[in-house]
Amino acid sequence: MGTSESPSPGPTPREVRQWLKALAGNSQRWINAAVGAGVTAGVATVVQMVLLARIVHLGVIEEASLSDLTYLFTGVVAAIIARAIAQGLQTRFAARSSEQVRKDVRRQLSAHWHHLGPLEIGQSSAGELAREWIDHVEALHGYFARFLPQMMLSVIIPLIILFVVFSLDWLAAIFLLLSAPLIPLFMALVGMGAENLNQQHFETVSRLSGQFLDKVRGITTLQLFGQTEHATSLIQSRSDRYRRITMKTLKVAFLSSAVLEFFSSVAIAVVAMYIGFGLLGYITYGPSVELTLYSGLLILLLAPEFFQPLRTLSQHYHDRAAALGAGSELLTRLQSGPSPSRRAPGLQDMPKDVISLRHVKLSYGQERSVFNDLSLEIRKGACVALSGPSGSGKSSLLHLIAGFARADSGDVAVFGAEPGSFPFGWLGQRGFLVQGSWADNIRLTTPDASDIAIENAIRQVGLGALIDNRPNGIHSQVSEDGQGLSGGQARRLSLARLFVSEYPLILLDEPTAGLDADSELHVLDALHKLTESGRTLVFSTHHQALLALADRILLVTDGEVRDA
Amino acid sequence: MRSLLPWLRLIFRSPGRLATGAILLLLTLLSGIGLLALSGWFITETALVGALLIAGVHATINLYTPGGGIRFFAVARTVTRYAERVYNHDTVLRLLTTIRVVLFSQLSRSGRSHRHDLTGAQWLSRLTMDVDALDTLYLRLIAPAGLALLVTVLMLLVSAIFLNVKSALWLALPLLAAFLLATVGTYLRTRHITRRQSDRTEQLRSGIIEHLEGIAELTAAGRTGKHAARLLRQAFESNSDQARADSRTGWQLALSNMLISLSAVAALWLGLELFQKDLVSGPVMVMVPIAFLGLAEIYGMLPDAFGRLGATEASAGRLNNDISIAEPPRQVATPGLPGELSLFVSDLGIRYQDLPPLMTHFSLQVKRGEHLGIIGHSGSGKSSLADTLAGLIEPFHGSLAKQEACYLTQKTVLFDDTLRANLLLGNPSATDTELWRVLDTVEMADRFIAEADQLDTWLGSAGSRLSGGEARRIALARVLLSPAPLLLLDEPFTGVDAVTRDRISTRLNSCFEGRTVIGFGHSIDALPVVDRVIHLVP
Repeated sequence: MGTSESPSPGPTPREVRQWLKALAGNSQRWINAAVGAGVTAGVATVVQMVLLARIVHLGVIEEASLSDLTYLFTGVVAAIIARAIAQGLQTRFAARSSEQVRKDVRRQLSAHWHHLGPLEIGQSSAGELAREWIDHVEALHGYFARFLPQMMLSVIIPLIILFVVFSLDWLAAIFLLLSAPLIPLFMALVGMGAENLNQQHFETVSRLSGQFLDKVRGITTLQLFGQTEHATSLIQSRSDRYRRITMKTLKVAFLSSAVLEFFSSVAIAVVAMYIGFGLLGYITYGPSVELTLYSGLLILLLAPEFFQPLRTLSQHYHDRAAALGAGSELLTRLQSGPSPSRRAPGLQDMPKDVISLRHVKLSYGQERSVFNDLSLEIRKGACVALSGPSGSGKSSLLHLIAGFARADSGDVAVFGAEPGSFPFGWLGQRGFLVQGSWADNIRLTTPDASDIAIENAIRQVGLGALIDNRPNGIHSQVSEDGQGLSGGQARRLSLARLFVSEYPLILLDEPTAGLDADSELHVLDALHKLTESGRTLVFSTHHQALLALADRILLVTDGEVRDA
Repeated sequence: MRSLLPWLRLIFRSPGRLATGAILLLLTLLSGIGLLALSGWFITETALVGALLIAGVHATINLYTPGGGIRFFAVARTVTRYAERVYNHDTVLRLLTTIRVVLFSQLSRSGRSHRHDLTGAQWLSRLTMDVDALDTLYLRLIAPAGLALLVTVLMLLVSAIFLNVKSALWLALPLLAAFLLATVGTYLRTRHITRRQSDRTEQLRSGIIEHLEGIAELTAAGRTGKHAARLLRQAFESNSDQARADSRTGWQLALSNMLISLSAVAALWLGLELFQKDLVSGPVMVMVPIAFLGLAEIYGMLPDAFGRLGATEASAGRLNNDISIAEPPRQVATPGLPGELSLFVSDLGIRYQDLPPLMTHFSLQVKRGEHLGIIGHSGSGKSSLADTLAGLIEPFHGSLAKQEACYLTQKTVLFDDTLRANLLLGNPSATDTELWRVLDTVEMADRFIAEADQLDTWLGSAGSRLSGGEARRIALARVLLSPAPLLLLDEPFTGVDAVTRDRISTRLNSCFEGRTVIGFGHSIDALPVVDRVIHLVP
């Protein structure tokens, strides 16, 4: 049952930006290097344009010969090569700028999952968590690699160009200066309108993708009911509606790039007209009389370069939006879950040969109290069955002993130590297997298990027949036929892991629930062998045969635990 | 490259739209080049005339035509840019719809055995990332590459007309080199890296999901840290690959930019030579190199797109693989069904691809109105048998004839939609009364009477607002609604507790009257009341 959680207010955009800023930390040198290379490329561009304008001026007005201009041509070629090297280095530095960031965030996420523990993790879908770990973290890259360096470049390079133009003709510089600050202003105005639309847009997109995904996953069902054509037309019409809504957003969003384009085009046109009239001597005011073909042409060549960094920045703006969106979700995840658990005091004086619970109180949320004042001792080496109606707290008791759940008050100690502080065996209701060989799967929890031990363990749980007819034995793939294992077989594979380990404690949650007769027999047999090896077993069950296996049966009812 | 072919065919289905978009993009580019080139011409012209005027020579200049031209290009640039972006993004979204619809109808035509068993997260990345890589293929790659060639040819024509043919041929060299570096060069230098990286991300996704599914066992064994560290290392390797591909793409871009600038310098040199021989005027001599510099805009779009082509191919390959509909040749005779039978199976053989058969020489006859139970433990092939009888798997041998059947699969599948929409799949013409009646049969009517929206209650993502047993009962109800005379029920009561199961079983008896029912289960307790039982042994 899904619990209807009240939507927690996510982190503010400001918090997300601060988080991203803090992440930059030791990647800052790559970002700085990228900016440095970008500035070098910008300076090389200015030099290139200066020399080009100089060549034109000397060639056309002074009618210098080509041989006189050779050294200038050599200079231009050198500037162009320098610019190419700087540009190449810029992308190289940028490409590496977020490697560390992504690594750090992923490590934080993994550590957080570990901190949340299996119970909390089980509340979220694995697909969603995987998306955060992979795709959301990747979405941060563009912000560090492209947006941040470009933001600095879009301030520095226009300033350099402005300085050069100012030294040539201050009036032309003022034209540029006037149009430049207007651009971010207008873009901000347009952007604000787009922001609201964007919100709506993202909701539509995610809902639509969700519905499409849902249909694809259930396609067999649709086939069985002969409803695929209906679903296809539904996808068509919904996708079309999505397009219309998106276009509404985009029409507004593209206005900001149109504004940018408009100002840069108009500024070039105005500068060109002003220079032309100045050169003709029509303008007798201010610096215009000083204009030459050199200064005039250079100003014209520099005008587009003045706007180029801003243009590039607006192209990278979606990197920022993507990073902020992803960052907000990542931060929400990292801030979720319980605060660091309180340390259990005074475990030293707990006896080393029992699992002991003293005055334990455990509740989920405000309403559901599971245990009020539970005290219990389980002797080392015992085989204990927990019985009782479903929902009475059998699983919760197992979770307390495993350390997956923390008591609100009271003490839990396992063999004198904190629960979960040493390796133990756990068998949930769902088997766990990874893509790989039988040996890989067993070694997940016991990496140093020998081949013989692994083969033996697989036979112990009655899966021997599955490896016998494979040429590579335990080194053959588990799901070679693409069909995987049945639920019962998967649970037996998990059980086999317990055989290669030497865990003193093994906890099992309903180990035979939902199993077919064949798997059930093998699981019972395997558990019997485990008890004989002197380990402590605690399991919840309703199953008669399993109850018979236990040397102690605890009845869990309404938060009370007593011997049956 | 071959993997892209089916998608290219899809993209070029509406050539008119694509051409219009390309023309708008071309106009944007030409306006930008025209604005700068004409401005350069104008400034040089005015400088020369101005010099004459200062020298006291009488000279005239037409200010209106170039002035008007500059204003026209400035406005045209803005307008065409806006129109181009809106129009082309609309095209991309239309393509997205087309691709989704084609993908879905292809998938729905393929049999289940051909559809790979993908997890939800894998599907999500297929349907978002992989499809996105394809729907922007035209706008990011095909159109810019075509236009870069076209504009380059135009520029060379301009230089052939204004300078001379020999100069144009010389200038073609660096431009051709720039084009090849930006396109083919980038593709060849990155494709191995990006393709590998794209596959690695897929593996990583499965790895993460496995990690999360096993987190209780891993935590207990104290191995979460070690297991996570392995995944972190894989992610880091993948990122390093990406950084390598990015740097290579960056260098290709820088080199092609360099060649364009060099071509402009060459144009200036060649122009000056002709100017000094009085074969070309000063303003025209200035205009040509400035126009060449304008090529950088369209060339700049190429390396990035070609750098991702390797990954795009990998995406296309994965999608092709998903929808491949290589149906095996039918070897199954479909004899007519004798009047008194509901199902007739003879000498059936089932296997997955080339693996050893799961079942051979299976024969079965089920009379109309008969209620049959098929019992077998896990791995006995009962679900495969159910899939085969329902027609999801093609048997490799034997013959099968049956009445129209409705099948409850072992896996419960509910859609992210209303209760009503989910139920109506079973019988689109069912009335509300019929829906309530069937809900009552599976003891779910009380649950939804209490809901505010009743039949229109939203069942949430994959029916997540329901418990496993409740979802199972809705899936059962949906099958019961079907008018089909034959019902195939695989583990109909999964997750339903024994007491409820017994009560529903009793109610089902009246529902099953006059219909043929085949129930599949791990034990007789897991099935409704049946007349006959078959045990499957491996």
